[in-house]
Amino acid sequence: MATVGLKDIVKVYGRHIAVRGVDLEIQDKSFTVFVGPSGCGKSTMLRMIAGLEIISHGEMRLDGKIVNDTPPRERGVAMVFQSYALYPHKTVRQNLEFSLKLEKLPPDQIASRVNKAVNLLEIEPYLDRKPAQLSGGQRQRVAMGRAIVREPKVFLFDEPLSNLDAKLRNQMRIEIKKLQRRLQVTTIYVTHDQVEAMTLADVIVVMRDGVIEQSGTPMQIFESPANQFIAGFIGTPQMNFFAGSVSMSRGVATFVGEGFKLPISKSRFGTGFEEGQNLTAGFRPEDIVPQERSKSAKLSADFLSAIGFTEMLGNETLLFSSYAGTEFVSRMAQPRFVAQDEIMKFKFNVEKMHLFDGDTGMSIRAA
Amino acid sequence: MALATSQIDFAAIEARERASTKKKWPSVVVAAFVSLIWVVPFYYMLVSIFKTHAEYTANNPLSLPEGFSPIADNAISAWNTAKMGAGFANSAMYGIVGAGLAVFFAAMAAYGLTRISFKRQNFWFMLIFAGTIFPFQIYLIPLFFAYQKIGIINTHFGMLLFYTAVCIPFPVLVLRNYLNGLSREMDEAARMDGASEFRVFWSIILPNCIGPMTATFLLQFTWIWNDLLFSTVLGNREEVRSIMNSLQIFHGSYTTAGPNLTLTAALIASLPAIVLFLLLRRHFMEGMRVTGV
Ligand SMILES: Nc1ncnc2c1ncn2[C@@H]1O[C@H](COP(=O)(O)OP(=O)(O)O)[C@@H](O)[C@H]1O
Ligand SMILES: [Mg+2]
Repeated sequence: MATVGLKDIVKVYGRHIAVRGVDLEIQDKSFTVFVGPSGCGKSTMLRMIAGLEIISHGEMRLDGKIVNDTPPRERGVAMVFQSYALYPHKTVRQNLEFSLKLEKLPPDQIASRVNKAVNLLEIEPYLDRKPAQLSGGQRQRVAMGRAIVREPKVFLFDEPLSNLDAKLRNQMRIEIKKLQRRLQVTTIYVTHDQVEAMTLADVIVVMRDGVIEQSGTPMQIFESPANQFIAGFIGTPQMNFFAGSVSMSRGVATFVGEGFKLPISKSRFGTGFEEGQNLTAGFRPEDIVPQERSKSAKLSADFLSAIGFTEMLGNETLLFSSYAGTEFVSRMAQPRFVAQDEIMKFKFNVEKMHLFDGDTGMSIRAA
Repeated sequence: MALATSQIDFAAIEARERASTKKKWPSVVVAAFVSLIWVVPFYYMLVSIFKTHAEYTANNPLSLPEGFSPIADNAISAWNTAKMGAGFANSAMYGIVGAGLAVFFAAMAAYGLTRISFKRQNFWFMLIFAGTIFPFQIYLIPLFFAYQKIGIINTHFGMLLFYTAVCIPFPVLVLRNYLNGLSREMDEAARMDGASEFRVFWSIILPNCIGPMTATFLLQFTWIWNDLLFSTVLGNREEVRSIMNSLQIFHGSYTTAGPNLTLTAALIASLPAIVLFLLLRRHFMEGMRVTGV
């Protein structure tokens, strides 16, 4: 099918730089998700790949061939838009047929391609309806059908689920993943929702301010974020950060926060520390572990804190509190009732600690 | 606590509510008086078309007609006196082709102004828009001399050229606003589906503009149909004469036809615009709603 190569891609709108130098190789049949906060240039990237925006600088290759100046229809890419962008005056069938008719395919081939997509997406009952007579989820399917019938080399999705309610969004997310597995088409997907990114992607590309901050598999990004921004962006609730500094004694570095000390593992973080260096420690909510009162004699707690409020989700409870002026969230895996203002003991799971340079925000890791 | 419906005194409520409207009778009187300004001429026309010339001169102009039969003679005689057949054909051509072309060109301009980026976009729009600001009469004298010079005065082509051109700006204004509200992702989808620029315009944009296009077409058609000034100055020869122009025969100082004929002719002349409006009413209303004209 297709590989996509992006080399030093830049996009400027007048004087405004929307994308400032993106390099990326997208593998054949892979599912790549661009994720990042709103306005970071994800849509702009996708639209350049689609051919809807001129690439200001850099090279884009499809299957090794430079396509910077190839118009959208000749690129063999299909796009599903956030608003679905169905043709309101055409029936579902006509929406699906439009591109094939423009391609001047023979009628039997048009029919067979449309049927294939219709069966795949189960939209048979609505074929003769206009888009206005469809629900959001049905429109979404038709929009995907319109992309599928073209049998493109690359599928592009721009926040396709953001107009759906939460339940339908989860359902469609799974369907998109299944569909991609089944069709084996290189797919590029844009979202600001990190859950979509984590669940859909073979490769996540995290963007900020028009540059790629990190790319890798979901687990790589989750476990080894390249910097504090990514660590905070991926994962819900987001990672907790505690400011502190390094204290050296006999060549062993210790993280000193406000009111607590944590050992810094040489094997994980290396040895390049200096006395007084600013650091930020990061713990995911599940790594700030609430301790049971009854067993307190055995388990040593790192600190005590009063619970501000709780979110009981049934299978788990989120505890919101603050310690030494820093707010944090802890995930209680075996929920019990927790009263507001209850004082609880917490322990850091030091094995899962993340460390970031206090000034640059870059992750610190053993070389 | 739910109120049992049997306990409601409907008559009392109605009386109370009516009492509050009763106090408004002075305004009703004023409204009725003002509406006479519209009703009387209409009534005058309605009674006059059923009268013969003799009957009209003998009685009070506002008296009721003696019967309905004279209308047939009035109609035939008005039609023949004013050569209304030719006028109808000419005006229909000016109206349908002129307004049709104008709206189509306006749609193309609106597409360009909203979908294609080019230099000084706003300048070009303001230039077209200027066409709706100045009263058309200022074009009259320059046009007359220019038409005379290039020899298209008193020609079908000249008339059509003027009507088409003068009817473009307003639809551009309306359609540009409308197109600005239409999803751009829709035409991008079409472009990705392999549509050329013209294809996008023709197969995607136009079908979604039927409402405002019909509305502006009707307005421009009616304007062309009712135009007297320009057709008198630019197209006064009998072969190119418009319907409104042809009615002027009843107005000349040598005319022998009475008001009964004049009014019958006027009524006949205004029928097509009314019929067209009734036929396209649904589209017209829809177009008005979305465009907020
Ligand atoms: N057509 C445009 N003209 C000017 N600036 C634009 C245009 N499209 C996007 N931008 C700017 O480029 C940046 C990236 O936008 P976009 O790619 O849409 O972000 P997102 O990651 O939310 O999809 C934003 O700052 C946006 O304001
Ligand atoms: Mg976007």
